Amino acid sequence: MTTTTGAMLPEAAYGPQEGAVKLTMLLGGVVFLLMMIFGLIMRAAQGGMIAVDPALFYQIMTAHGAGMVGTAGLTGAAILWYFTGRHVPLLAGVYWAFLGLFLLGVVCILAAIFLGGYAGAWTFLYPLPALSGGLWGPGASVLFLLGYVSIGVGFLLLHLEVMRRLMARYGGIGGALAWPLAFGKGRPEDAPPPAVVAAMASSVFNTLGIVVGAAVLVASIVNLLVPGFAVDALLAKNMIFFFGHVFINASIYMAVIAVYEILPEYLGKPWKTTRIFAIAWTVVLVFVLAVYPHHLLQDVPMPGWALAMGQIVSYFSGIPLIAVTAFSLIVYLRAADMRWDMAAALLVLGVAGWSVGSVPAILDGMIVVNKVMHNTQWVPGHFHIYLLLGEVAMAFGFMAWLVRRPLAADARPGAARLSGLDHGVFMAYVAGGAGFVLMFLVSGALSVPRRWAVHVPDWFLQDRLATLFAAMVIGAALIIVLRYTAVLARRAE
Amino acid sequence: MQLTVLAISLIVMAFIAAQFITAVRSAPGTVATGAERLRSRLIIGLAIVGLVVSAVSLARWPHAVAAKGVAAVVNVSGGQWYWEIDTAQVPLGLVVFNAQTADVTHGFGITDADGTILVQTQVIPGYVNRTQYTFEQPGTYRVVCLEYCGVAHHDMINEFEVAAR
Repeated sequence: MTTTTGAMLPEAAYGPQEGAVKLTMLLGGVVFLLMMIFGLIMRAAQGGMIAVDPALFYQIMTAHGAGMVGTAGLTGAAILWYFTGRHVPLLAGVYWAFLGLFLLGVVCILAAIFLGGYAGAWTFLYPLPALSGGLWGPGASVLFLLGYVSIGVGFLLLHLEVMRRLMARYGGIGGALAWPLAFGKGRPEDAPPPAVVAAMASSVFNTLGIVVGAAVLVASIVNLLVPGFAVDALLAKNMIFFFGHVFINASIYMAVIAVYEILPEYLGKPWKTTRIFAIAWTVVLVFVLAVYPHHLLQDVPMPGWALAMGQIVSYFSGIPLIAVTAFSLIVYLRAADMRWDMAAALLVLGVAGWSVGSVPAILDGMIVVNKVMHNTQWVPGHFHIYLLLGEVAMAFGFMAWLVRRPLAADARPGAARLSGLDHGVFMAYVAGGAGFVLMFLVSGALSVPRRWAVHVPDWFLQDRLATLFAAMVIGAALIIVLRYTAVLARRAE
Repeated sequence: MQLTVLAISLIVMAFIAAQFITAVRSAPGTVATGAERLRSRLIIGLAIVGLVVSAVSLARWPHAVAAKGVAAVVNVSGGQWYWEIDTAQVPLGLVVFNAQTADVTHGFGITDADGTILVQTQVIPGYVNRTQYTFEQPGTYRVVCLEYCGVAHHDMINEFEVAAR
């Protein structure tokens, strides 16, 4: 018999896995920093501030894309695992297998890029991995793709374990998604907590995305080994972008679990599963899967209905985010006597950045706009908002919370403010991040293409300002990661 | 169009950011009365805006290629890393482009002399990728690649002239 209460397990049940999660976040923080430095190098090279050979530039670009997407997924999955573990017992061995396969994949990807010369971008758009123009061989491409396969298998293991446990405890997929409440037959007090609903939804769509990704990865690998085996390029692109879109969205939707679980400690009010919350997550589940054609709006051989669906769903995907998660947080914040620290500030920033970033993304999801904005710097402009100021902010917030000081229970209302070094670091991260993404958006509006190793002098101003803003972000992120590492080391002694 | 899109984006982004900043700075204990009613209105309002914008922007299919009134049909072939255009000069008026690739996916983009993108289409291997543009000004136009295609992606540039009548 299943139970559908929000009661948490005792800390003893999930505490032992906290070390693995903390290690993951340390690795994630370090890789985020390294990838940010890669990003700074690219912007400095585009601005003519340093000389980087185009072959190396595109290798760095490939590493930056794969590294950032992978680490967003890694940190999101760590958050998912940590908080799901509060509600159902999870098998620790599965997490270690996930982490081991992830690291194996990272080794393969780095070797493929920096030893094998692979520079086919993180999107491995078929048939580019096989047609490098002499820059890299099929072996490097196969190694890169096998790295993805390894990471994908790890994620599948993790999601299957999470779904298995949630289904057993909450009465199947529908129970964990709070469908009885969503469809008007259940009571809010019987519904699973928000973390469970989010964990189930993101596990379902990420599993589907990874399975489709595995299919196109295998097809691409066979094509590399047996060139006579050809794949329809448009079908492959559909599969790649379905996988890529779902994976990066899952990263954010997994990370937001930290908001649902942590912020109530600061708000003094639980984040409950209401009917609108349950409906919103079911809508998210459908929309995340259905919206991917908005990446193919300039692929004119695509069926018109698919592109129209991509545009329409792209817009309506913003409603659950804006009207449910962001709206609820704003209402909670207005009522709360918040005791701010770095964790709370970064988690709120994460939701705000995600919400703000949806605006240029939705506009780019309109076919008429996309016709002149697609593959300009507008695109990294919008996705850097909801990654740098969204998912990464949530991940850093989770890290800060893991090593937080206990909240002062007797603090006067409004007394605990973000101050001193914390305030400076947080503001540097926000200002640097906002300036950085603004330069992308301005460049996109001025028709600067994305993914060009060499820029003309007319574009240097935005490139150089972006480099400065990137340095600000890196400085702030460095302090966040160093403080996290220092506290972990001190507590380990 | 691009600068209008930038302006709309910045205004709406600033509005959303302001909601968060106001909430963070609000006095503790500010009780939001009627929040659920406001949420319902927000959902309905956003849905209505979405339906109207979708209907208006899709009523005339953005990828439609005209069968009549075409001033010229231009065949374009892309490859690593070049553009071949079957004519160096096209007339003013409605021009249809048939773009194909010899190898990987490219992005066929046309810019004016100032570098502003006017139109683009992905060039998918195995397909004839058709798009159109109405040229109203004579002059030199550039063809650039807007899909990453390898080490000289940024050098994949060609030009054509639009002749005066």
